[in-house]
Amino acid sequence: MSLHPQARNEHAPASISRGALTVGGLHKSFDIGGAPRKILDNINLDVRPGEFVSIVGASGCGKSTLLRLIAGLDTDYSGELRLDGERIATTSLDRGIVFQDHRLFPWMTLEQNVELALLNTGTPKARRAQIAADHIALVNLKGFEKAYPHQLSGGMAQRAAIARALVTEPKLLLLDEPLGALDALTRVHVQNELQRIWMAQRSTMVMVTHDVEEALYLGDRVIVMSPNPGRIRRIVEVDLPHPRDRRAPLLHRLKDEILAELTSGADAAESAGNLVHLPSREAR
Amino acid sequence: MMAGRHFPSGASVPRLRNLPVGAFAAPVLLLGAWQLACLTGLFPQQVLVPPSGVAKALADMAGSGELQRHVGDSLHRLLVGFAIGAVSGMIFGAALALSRLLDAALSPLFLTLWQVPVIAFVPLMVMFLGIDEPFKIAVVAIAAFFPMALATFDGIRGVPRNWFDVAKIYRLRLHQLVRRILLPATVPAVLTGLRISLTRAWVVLVAAELLAADSGIGQMMEMGRQLFQIDVVLAGVVVSGLIGFLLDRGARWVESRATRWRAA
Repeated sequence: MSLHPQARNEHAPASISRGALTVGGLHKSFDIGGAPRKILDNINLDVRPGEFVSIVGASGCGKSTLLRLIAGLDTDYSGELRLDGERIATTSLDRGIVFQDHRLFPWMTLEQNVELALLNTGTPKARRAQIAADHIALVNLKGFEKAYPHQLSGGMAQRAAIARALVTEPKLLLLDEPLGALDALTRVHVQNELQRIWMAQRSTMVMVTHDVEEALYLGDRVIVMSPNPGRIRRIVEVDLPHPRDRRAPLLHRLKDEILAELTSGADAAESAGNLVHLPSREAR
Repeated sequence: MMAGRHFPSGASVPRLRNLPVGAFAAPVLLLGAWQLACLTGLFPQQVLVPPSGVAKALADMAGSGELQRHVGDSLHRLLVGFAIGAVSGMIFGAALALSRLLDAALSPLFLTLWQVPVIAFVPLMVMFLGIDEPFKIAVVAIAAFFPMALATFDGIRGVPRNWFDVAKIYRLRLHQLVRRILLPATVPAVLTGLRISLTRAWVVLVAAELLAADSGIGQMMEMGRQLFQIDVVLAGVVVSGLIGFLLDRGARWVESRATRWRAA
């Protein structure tokens, strides 16, 4: 896809050598009942350093599989998958991930959970507590360092998971429906938090979601995927500076467009193939 | 954002409020009915000794030190046998959970033997081990072995696969994975296994002592039966029940202390 060399947003990072993700001709199949089944078909995507990319699509479009591949949790793929030019072959502390369930360890306190991520970063033991405390403060959980996960609400636990994922200062943060299990109000709150954290942190973020509004509110670009097999159907540029106003007309217009696209007939999806529409700039 | 949860955890709920008065009602009622049945002469006193008679027998035996000797002997056997059975059960269960080969090779045999009442092994064991200490310790060890092995197996197999993903993301090394994730994750199941093993071992020990022993609570009851001292038999029932209850309570206490991180 097109790589935009010019920093379009006023908040674009000074250094753009960190967190450039390249996905080229990516294919992925699973063995289902002895027969290979295509899950991802020819995915091409370039994510700029410091960019926030949202991926939306119906369930079964392989968006979570794509994230697991980028994370290095699944390395059985064909095609190209690179972070800053380096081929992704396993997990790395350069790539953090937040799952739909917080996956905090219930026998560890919040700070112990966050510090666990620092275990193999080479950070001196004495520094770990401070770094963990900084990230707990970043997600606004100061005062809850000694809390066990069951003592946190769903939204707090998810923010704790974000702190754990960020504490290694990954170049790329992957978010796999991180707010999917939260109620509507908490969701809006954590979306705002996520936007604030992203603006403070400046790492590249790729978020999978099934909530089009959320995808548009947070994403610099929204990747629309279609299922069976998973393909990129369209890439929508969301040309609005952060922090954003949820009421922005552009967001609502794009939402209607994307929803129409997602709910249109399956045959349309077939014929559209992997055709990518570049964003319409007149939307400004 | 607190969603109505308390922090820091309000675990210090006054214990008195938790102490159910009802828990004492049932035993008191039972004792009352028992005493009443004796007073009405429904059963001859020699067959159904009244609670007061049992209390007297207990006091007499405690006074002579006989009761303490029997209880001490039984608890010693329980401790040694339980330690052997629980540790070997833990190792066996862990080995089965971690090795597909061992699981496939040994699970059917293990699950078959598990269905055999431990007491059914007693005649055979008496032939090989006699009726001395090794026999009783072996019975306890076998009784503790099976529930412990099963609990450990389930505990390890039950560790969510998702947690391995997290460990992989943060590049945890094997020893870190074992110490920080696998061990704590299996602690609750293992502690529950320990509690079930302990109480089961106690029940089986008393039964084995009834069949063949020269001392211990079970033997005390068997001697009472032979001499038609029903008060001694009933005293044994009371004492073995109380000890079993206390073992269960103690193990539950350890369990809740060690897994305080769980939802209150």
